[in-house]
Amino acid sequence: MKSPLLNLIPGDTYLHKLTGKTKVRAFVILLVYIIMSFDLRLILPLFIVGIIGLVSLRPEWKTLRYFFIVVAAVNLLNIVLFWLANPDIGAFWCGGSRTVLVSFTKRLFISLETLWYLSIRFLKMITSFLISMVFVLSITPSELAAGLYSIKVPYKICTIFSIAFRYIPDIGRDYENIKISMQARGVELDPKKVPLMDRIKQNVLILVPLIISSFERVGNISNAMDLRGYGRGKTRTYYCEHEEGKADKIFKAIYTGLLLFCAFWIVSRIIYPPPSKMWYPFS
Amino acid sequence: MRKPIVEFIDFGFQYKSQSSPTLHNINLTIYQGEKVLILGPSGSGKSTLANCINGLNPFSYEGKITGSCKIAGRETKTASIFALSKTVGTVLQDSDAQFVALSVGEDIAFALENQSVPREEMIPKVQRASEIVGMEDFLLHLPYELSGGQKQKVALAGVLHDDVDLLLFDEPLASLDPQAGMQAIELIHQIHVEQKKTVIIIEHRLEDVLHRPVDRIVLMNEGRIVFDGTPDRLLTSNLLPKYGIREPLYIMAMKYAGCTFTGQEVLSDIHSMDLSPFEDKLKKHFRTPVKRSAIPATDEILRVQNVSFSYGDGDVLKDVSFSIDRGEKVAFIGKNGAGKSTMAKLLCGIIRPDRGEICIEGENYLQYSIKEIGEKIGYVMQNPNQMLVKDIILDEVELALLLRDKSREEIDAAVERALDMCNLYGMRNWPIYAVSYGQRKRVTIASILVLQPDIIILDEPTAGQDYYHYTEIMNFLDDLNRKYGITIIFITHDMHLAIEYTDRALVFSDGELIADDSVFKVLSDDDVITKASLKQTSLYTLAKRLDLDPESYIEHFIAYERMKKDNEKSTS
Repeated sequence: MKSPLLNLIPGDTYLHKLTGKTKVRAFVILLVYIIMSFDLRLILPLFIVGIIGLVSLRPEWKTLRYFFIVVAAVNLLNIVLFWLANPDIGAFWCGGSRTVLVSFTKRLFISLETLWYLSIRFLKMITSFLISMVFVLSITPSELAAGLYSIKVPYKICTIFSIAFRYIPDIGRDYENIKISMQARGVELDPKKVPLMDRIKQNVLILVPLIISSFERVGNISNAMDLRGYGRGKTRTYYCEHEEGKADKIFKAIYTGLLLFCAFWIVSRIIYPPPSKMWYPFS
Repeated sequence: MRKPIVEFIDFGFQYKSQSSPTLHNINLTIYQGEKVLILGPSGSGKSTLANCINGLNPFSYEGKITGSCKIAGRETKTASIFALSKTVGTVLQDSDAQFVALSVGEDIAFALENQSVPREEMIPKVQRASEIVGMEDFLLHLPYELSGGQKQKVALAGVLHDDVDLLLFDEPLASLDPQAGMQAIELIHQIHVEQKKTVIIIEHRLEDVLHRPVDRIVLMNEGRIVFDGTPDRLLTSNLLPKYGIREPLYIMAMKYAGCTFTGQEVLSDIHSMDLSPFEDKLKKHFRTPVKRSAIPATDEILRVQNVSFSYGDGDVLKDVSFSIDRGEKVAFIGKNGAGKSTMAKLLCGIIRPDRGEICIEGENYLQYSIKEIGEKIGYVMQNPNQMLVKDIILDEVELALLLRDKSREEIDAAVERALDMCNLYGMRNWPIYAVSYGQRKRVTIASILVLQPDIIILDEPTAGQDYYHYTEIMNFLDDLNRKYGITIIFITHDMHLAIEYTDRALVFSDGELIADDSVFKVLSDDDVITKASLKQTSLYTLAKRLDLDPESYIEHFIAYERMKKDNEKSTS
């Protein structure tokens, strides 16, 4: 069972070898960093770092390409809709000026400010997607659980993640088996022969036994966990969470610095609001 | 003085959801270092008893306890399941569901993680436990890459830590092929001897457990202990048939030969038992002629010729050819991944061969859709709960015809016939979840028979069933074959099933068909047995010890047993 996106076995690149704790903490701080501003000077470096990170993981580009196309298309649509809703949105963000470049009608025009704002917005979305990709590709579900636990998420919630990844393939296999037996009984699932609505109805038929057999499994799993003392203590340790290496220490220094910078940035913006809502070099 | 580790005194247990107790008046003491088998048919209360020892009762399944049960001196009524798990290590029946982590190492460490053991202490402990069960080279492996036997070893390693004194195995053989089952029994014994752990095994397959010695057998029936003593005393008694437990084959052979026991014989180990008092009778019986029921030649219904198939990387089936005649009963045998399930999927048309040809009644089946093949070859899954989609039996049975847009009259007639064949007509309006497992199995068969197929394929029809239910299901299928001439293909690794109920075995190994012969021939071929992860039956050993030819001895046994069964049927 191999999933193209998630790795269940720890990889061997620099980022893969970090501990779950480092990966989760760095990811959370980077998310704060990317959300807090619309500033190209902050977003562009992270965009470059994201690309380097992704390349260093040596992913399977074939599957990734598909995701990138979908995400880019959705976000392009998103900014087009933004523009249609309010072509003058850039004025609000860039300090009030309006430099019209092209004008279609009186209401529909492209201004330098709007173009700037929407481009940054697009870059920001792509960067956050890049960072998320690097995170997802570098972490295993067990490390994710351990990492979340390290940022004080209760371990019963952390377990949900690792357990879900453990049993989803099993449920997929059950689904395959049930589908086979239903097909032999005459349920037609061929998209060429059956209209969509009927296919959905037939799939619901498969869900009934799937849900029932999954419930049977849940009972067994929870017994197996109880019998090995799950839920006994308030704390827990993780076998997969290896000792911090040199790389983890370097990352720790970087993300701690970044956290302080984010705090400083946010606080300073609250105390001394800048003249315009985003950095705009052409005003 | 031996130290008791499990002590039941006038113990009873009643589930909250049930109106009467499941266990009555249990008095049982198990001492430190003992190896005990708890034997009994389904519903005898043996699993309930096990769950009272490990604390699942009443922790997970609420209920009322009467009397007293002490584990290592601690009363279970007041102890928590966590406290008990320090003393009792339980290996559950479902080796897949109990694998809760994402790698072998993590799963072995699971109990330690829950105790917040620091990682540096955890690593050597996991290493040690994995070495005991022989899984130290697999620590980074994912659960999906392991066989059932390997998963069970991991589960065992996961409860071997620390001061666990008592190992409890709940039906350890249920989901394993014969060879893996044999290895499991050997491993359990090795740990019992080397690690000095007390072992309790819950099983109904007596012969397989007796592959290694046990100190004591506790036989349960209807919530009570009906026997508590040595294996030899149990085997010489007549309690096994009385309580629906299958006797070991060699004991059956001895009884057929008219051997009688005084109760003093040592019978539990076929390799070392003293055969001299029985030798004459056994040999004489072997010389008595039996009627060999010749299979009447019929027309060929299914032909598979030079079929190969792959899922992309490497052939799953390599150049397989065989043919099946109308009305035959055939077993597909082989370990998991040998290709028998893929063969079944090919026959049902769910996947199609890369090379080669499959013909149904002489017609190349490539011209048919899955739906059309479904009217000729029916496929019954192992777990009926994975097949049933409706609430009412009648609705379930007519589903396949409704999907084919047949007329009402046609449907009613076909449904009535199928329900009749499966003795379900009287229950047709019952809700499916109100009927027993065996009846649900029959509903799934009826829902296939309604299409009037010529062939049905059954995947492990008796998995997880005790001897009584096993016999019930198999006799029903035998009747279907006899009365209605339906060709039946069993996918199984149960050797008893193959011996008793099929005419021919097709043995698969690594995608190749390595044997296509009568069952007794297959079972006396060492090479085939090793390749297909099968196990020598005790009849083979018995024949060797008597200096008889194993092949003809097994054949004689099968023929005699069939004759006896036919006589019973005609007189009843």
